[in-house]
Amino acid sequence: MAETKLVTITIDGKAYQVPAGSNLVDAAKWHADNDIPVFCYHPKMAPVGMCRMCVVELGMVEKDRATGEVIMENGQPKVRWMPKLQTACTQVATDGMVVRTDTDKVKAGRESVIEFLLTSHPLDCPICDKGGECPLQNLTMAHGNGVSRMNFADKLKLDKHVPLGDLIYLDEERCIQCARCIRFQDEIVGDDVLAFHERGRRLQIITKSDPGFDTYFSGNTTDICPVGALTTADFRFGARPWELTDVPSICPHDAAGTNISLSTRLDRDFGGRAMIKRVMPRQNEAVNEIWISDRTRFVHHFTRSDDRLQSPMVRRGERLSPTVWNEAIPALAEVLKAANGDVAVLAGGGASNEDLWELRQLLKGLGSERLGAWTTHSGAELLLEVGVGKGSNLGTLGKGDAILVVASDLEEEVPMWYLRVKQAQDRGAFLAVANHRPTRLAEIASQTERKVASQTERKPLVGKSVLYEAGKAAHWLNDLANSDPELYNTLKDAQNLVIIAGAEGLDWDGGRALMQAAANLLIAGGHVGKPNNGLMATLPEANGMGLQYLGYTTQNALDIIKNPPSVLITAQCDPLGDDPTAGSWMSKVNTLITLTLFPDDTTQRAAFALPVQSFAERDGTFINGERRVQRFYTAQGPMGDALPLWEIIARLRERLGQGRAKVSAAAVMLELSNHLPSFNGIRYKDLAQVERQYPDVGGKDLYYGGTAYQNKGGLGVQLPTTADNGSAPTTGTVNLPEVKQAKKGELLLIPTVRLYNRSHIMRPSALIANRVAKPFAALNNADAKKLGIKHGDRVEVRFNGGQATVTAQVSDSTPQGVVFVPRYLADTPTPMVITSASVVKVSDAVAVQ
Amino acid sequence: MAIIGNKKYQERINEHLAKYPDKRSAVMPLLYIAQEEYGWVNDEGIAEVAQLCDMDATQVKSIAGFYTMYSEKPKGKYWLQVCTDLACALRGADELHHELLHELGIEEGGTTEDGMFTAEHVMCLAGCDRAPMLQCNFHFVEAVGGLTMAHLRELIAAARQDDKTLQKLIAKWRDEVNKQVQQS
Amino acid sequence: MSETKHILLRWKDVKADFRKLAEYRKHEGFEGLKKALAAKPEEVIDVVKNSGLRGRGGAGFPTGVKWSFIPKQEPIKYFVVNADESETGTFKDRLIMETNPYQLLEGLLIGAYAIGAHTAYIYLRGEFWDIAAQLDACIEEMRKEGLVGKNILGSGYDCEIYTHLGAGAYICGEETALLNSLEGKLGQPRVRPPFPANKGGGLYGEPTVVNNVETIANVPWIMTHGADAYKAIGTEQSAGTKLYCVSGHVKKPGVYELPFSATFRELLVDICGGPSVEGRSFKALLPSGGSGPIVPLNDKVLDTRMSYEDTAKIGTIIGSASLIVMDDSVDITWVASKVTKFFKHESCGKCTPCREGTYWLDKVIDRIMAGEGSERDITLIENVAKNMAGITLCALGEFAANPIIHTIKQFPDDFKQHVKKDGKAAKPVALPAAGD
Ligand SMILES: Cc1cc2nc3c(=O)[nH]c(=O)nc-3n(C[C@H](O)[C@H](O)[C@H](O)COP(=O)(O)O)c2cc1C
Ligand code: SF4
Ligand code: FES
Repeated sequence: MAETKLVTITIDGKAYQVPAGSNLVDAAKWHADNDIPVFCYHPKMAPVGMCRMCVVELGMVEKDRATGEVIMENGQPKVRWMPKLQTACTQVATDGMVVRTDTDKVKAGRESVIEFLLTSHPLDCPICDKGGECPLQNLTMAHGNGVSRMNFADKLKLDKHVPLGDLIYLDEERCIQCARCIRFQDEIVGDDVLAFHERGRRLQIITKSDPGFDTYFSGNTTDICPVGALTTADFRFGARPWELTDVPSICPHDAAGTNISLSTRLDRDFGGRAMIKRVMPRQNEAVNEIWISDRTRFVHHFTRSDDRLQSPMVRRGERLSPTVWNEAIPALAEVLKAANGDVAVLAGGGASNEDLWELRQLLKGLGSERLGAWTTHSGAELLLEVGVGKGSNLGTLGKGDAILVVASDLEEEVPMWYLRVKQAQDRGAFLAVANHRPTRLAEIASQTERKVASQTERKPLVGKSVLYEAGKAAHWLNDLANSDPELYNTLKDAQNLVIIAGAEGLDWDGGRALMQAAANLLIAGGHVGKPNNGLMATLPEANGMGLQYLGYTTQNALDIIKNPPSVLITAQCDPLGDDPTAGSWMSKVNTLITLTLFPDDTTQRAAFALPVQSFAERDGTFINGERRVQRFYTAQGPMGDALPLWEIIARLRERLGQGRAKVSAAAVMLELSNHLPSFNGIRYKDLAQVERQYPDVGGKDLYYGGTAYQNKGGLGVQLPTTADNGSAPTTGTVNLPEVKQAKKGELLLIPTVRLYNRSHIMRPSALIANRVAKPFAALNNADAKKLGIKHGDRVEVRFNGGQATVTAQVSDSTPQGVVFVPRYLADTPTPMVITSASVVKVSDAVAVQ
Repeated sequence: MAIIGNKKYQERINEHLAKYPDKRSAVMPLLYIAQEEYGWVNDEGIAEVAQLCDMDATQVKSIAGFYTMYSEKPKGKYWLQVCTDLACALRGADELHHELLHELGIEEGGTTEDGMFTAEHVMCLAGCDRAPMLQCNFHFVEAVGGLTMAHLRELIAAARQDDKTLQKLIAKWRDEVNKQVQQS
Repeated sequence: MSETKHILLRWKDVKADFRKLAEYRKHEGFEGLKKALAAKPEEVIDVVKNSGLRGRGGAGFPTGVKWSFIPKQEPIKYFVVNADESETGTFKDRLIMETNPYQLLEGLLIGAYAIGAHTAYIYLRGEFWDIAAQLDACIEEMRKEGLVGKNILGSGYDCEIYTHLGAGAYICGEETALLNSLEGKLGQPRVRPPFPANKGGGLYGEPTVVNNVETIANVPWIMTHGADAYKAIGTEQSAGTKLYCVSGHVKKPGVYELPFSATFRELLVDICGGPSVEGRSFKALLPSGGSGPIVPLNDKVLDTRMSYEDTAKIGTIIGSASLIVMDDSVDITWVASKVTKFFKHESCGKCTPCREGTYWLDKVIDRIMAGEGSERDITLIENVAKNMAGITLCALGEFAANPIIHTIKQFPDDFKQHVKKDGKAAKPVALPAAGD
């Protein structure tokens, strides 16, 4: 990045050096600690100058035209003042700018804007969800005159409960027409489904979106709404902001590691225990800025679901019966001792580093190193070498930089990255998207310009979308230099290059090959070992990266499948629910021990089912896809007898004579980071460090419109890659796997990922459950015709290990020879990786609805 | 009913789309076409215009709501708009407007039961020297010396007879006005 | 007024039908364009600058200066004609377009050539759809004679002209709202800077000139007859002639073209024949439609020249020269309420003071008109109006404040007659403290 020039501006008589071109409101706040009040301005969006709250007196130091010298008057630089008040939010800092924010004229201006706003406002603060953290409330207290001259009877009466969709409600009376919500959807999300209707005082927010307003980021509008006009169906009337305690946490759903605050309250509905009332974004500019996806926001109900496993269970004959820890632990110890080291672990991405460490130590004590990562992704070990460099921030990618997203439907897998990648393209970065089917991101990549209603200029976009043959992601990337030298060079020669790899259409061999091909491209272009360069992967759940760091690999998992151990421990994963073929090898395991949140398919076969606490009930750390180790804190009261996974194992280890159980997650981390060099001796307190972030959310103006943004839990620590540490990675051979072929008369089944599905975690959140797609399989027109299948028909998809009955979606966007089956939509387990399947019509479309 | 694929509009739609470097700019002319087809700007029209202009339907609805010449609800065959702005009001427009509503037996903005007339008052129509003046389906209705209730009764009767008679009547008044202008 | 020279309504002098291209060409038509195309664009701008032509859209900004703001180096520029004509009492642009369309189109081409634009739009208020159709027909006529499109008159200069219809929104007369509307967005004004002439501020973000119909219709005459001849007409700071729209209580309302040096008396008494109703006398005048300050129509005003500088001296503006005349039967409070309703109806809603202020003022004036107001209400609306002025995003907020502020100033008794003398004070309603 080029050095920004500094200019001198004067605010209330004091001179400040600020970057040229910075927004005056931001500059005043950051450099002069001067909170110029705003309503419509939002530092993440272009200014519109609508609300007029930010008025200041503005002048320029006068210079002699001929000499360029500042003209002096009574020993002071002469200032040419503009006759009218000016909106600060629409000004950029230029040399010689002089600003007054403390004059009577400015005070009168602010006071009158507040008065104007309140003439239409219902002033129903006592029953408003925003009450207590409302910018309008705060700024009225700070700048208003305290009395109303508006005859109350003259107020406009409007609808107070307008559902914009299932998720978001509008109170028309409270809306102050700042257009933040409209602009967020338009500028940030790129989905302009909100707008004003009518004009003048009748101006109101509308949507014609079908279905209603629920983009994957819609909840953010309720945060940036500077009044209580927009509320979520989830939190509406749920609690008063001042009753809430905000607990820092991390979104458990994907590799973004979105920083969140869990707003909790001791609640009668939860037996007087602390209960999550809402999920709010927590500012971390390097990770999620101030945004969260709707999944992050609305999928928290599972933590309190009655369906959760609430006590340890032990199999007695056919049935699992509840027991207590004091009986379960000794029994487990006996089983493990008897296994004589023939024991293995399969862990999912939901387990924290502390959990994984204890499990690893347990196995080590038992003489086994069989640590398997239960994941759809492979080749993730390369991330430790060529992952994005320390100090990376997708939020700073722009002109001259490039991003390649391959084999992923990023919007459905890691929505936060989708948002940030789109933003990077808006700032000028080249965006290439390659997949075997069209996705939303591919559509964005192929657009040549972005038009934003609130802005005049149309931003030229650079990017390319590529369709390769199904299953051939690694082949495509490996051969890119030959097949598309222009694209290859654009990527290779970019100033900075980030590759985000998914695993769609790949098995574990294919995934590994894709990761290696990506690594080779990065290495070839020198895009390793420095910030904003390197590899990322859409590893499922929050701690896919932690699995790698703690030595859990897909190779080991494959080995476990091939040679099942006598005793298998599954840790926050459900092989039998995930993979229809798992039954065949699982039957060779003598004793299955499962550590789980929910009684799931694996539980049904387990000898021991042990309830673990969710991320909300305990402390721990996850490592996100950018290798940032981040802490989450105990927010909610525990469910039943569930314990933190690490604690269960620690107790078990103590029983097995492996030493005294640790008393806290922090202590586990201490041991872990002392042993694993890659952790650089990180302590919990390092992870809790916070520094001032730009833009600054603090201050009495409640700049962004919410208090929960403040990051009090820490920004986390990004682990260096081996390349960061100076060891130059070398390109490796890409072992291109043979592309799976469908059996004769069958189609190649490719599993896909949907943000909203019917997994155990989603189901308890009613709002989201309603938004889950009906189970379907996507087919090509020609294939469907051959099979006698019409769009909307009920079909049975049959594959090795099972079958699923779903609705056929027939279109040209699905390639020929392929059937896409989203995971976790059907009632029965569907394949985890690419496989051959037959599709057979069951009944006509009419019979469906 | 549709505007997309409707031969009647094809050429005009293409012309409008060709006028501008950005399809979105054609939203206003195309909304007029939708209104012409459906009689008002309904959801079908909104969806079609959105498709033609490559916009979200929400944005098209927003445009339709901002401008007063798009009707977002069904209206009568004849949309009578009396200018009651200052200049016309100085010459009796408010009274004329009230008489008109009374004559038609409707409220402001209402439609007669037979679906023939919708009447409402509007802001200045740029015809103040011939005040008071009126617009019928966006045709200026002007008469020498300003419109009177007698004119309006004639107009209503003509419209009830048939459209041709009405158009002839309006044209006749208009010619008289033009003659006066040319002479001045 | 036989000696009055018409520039915009030239057909009156030569008694010809200028709606026909041949007739128009016979009488100097397109001579100005030929001259312009033979000159360098900068030279054309200089002629217009030297002529003293000022914008007829209301603000009176020097037209040549406006054109000179367009950055030369930008490849794409636009010329836009503002034919939105929605100010209460304004109907002059319509007359130009109806009776002298080619003069507008010629002026437009000269302007577009001067700034280097190859595309021009004429934005007409929606009600002018038949005028737009007529203009479209004129443009096609011009195409046949090589006067529009590619290589105009063999000069190598290309320019296309398109008409665009608004759909009922006064605010779209404001130039940045007009540009938004033309882009298919809400007709709400834009923040300035960047100005339309700047990169990033005009149509589709490209440098753009927006001029009023009447302004542009002057340009061919200026090119043909020279800057000096134009400057010789009118007053020192107001060169040329002006179309004055007269409505309200005069015998002969209409549009009249006079030099800026003419007085209100010459127009309203000599030409328009004085008050329309015998026995009545003039009371008040809105010289610039609803938006300009109202003045008492007394001898002092009647003897004032209708120029930019002279009207400023009597505390008002000539603006778009939409003279609404009121005789002594009129209650000016009623006028204020009418005009307030207009601005309330037309406020786009984008900025707070205008959106809320117009609504609030209207409510209070209604109360006053209903005889339920108090003297405090008069103070209140005056104060509210003053709070709006100077803090809104565009000038509409200011326009909306004017009728209140100036009616109270010029006709205080009209307001006072409606409120209870004993001053039944409207009790201030205390706000509930936020948060309780
Ligand atoms: C609320 C508002 C309404 C306006 N309406 C018109 C209009 O109807 N016609 C017009 O020519 N100018 C109108 N203007 C002035 C334009 O913004 C602009 O100044 C003008 O078109 C410039 O042309 P000129 O320099 O030739 O006068 C309006 C301005 C405002 C603030
Ligand atoms: S709903 Fe909220 S964010 Fe949207 S315009 Fe109204 S006040 Fe602003
Ligand atoms: S106008 Fe500047 S914050 Fe709204």
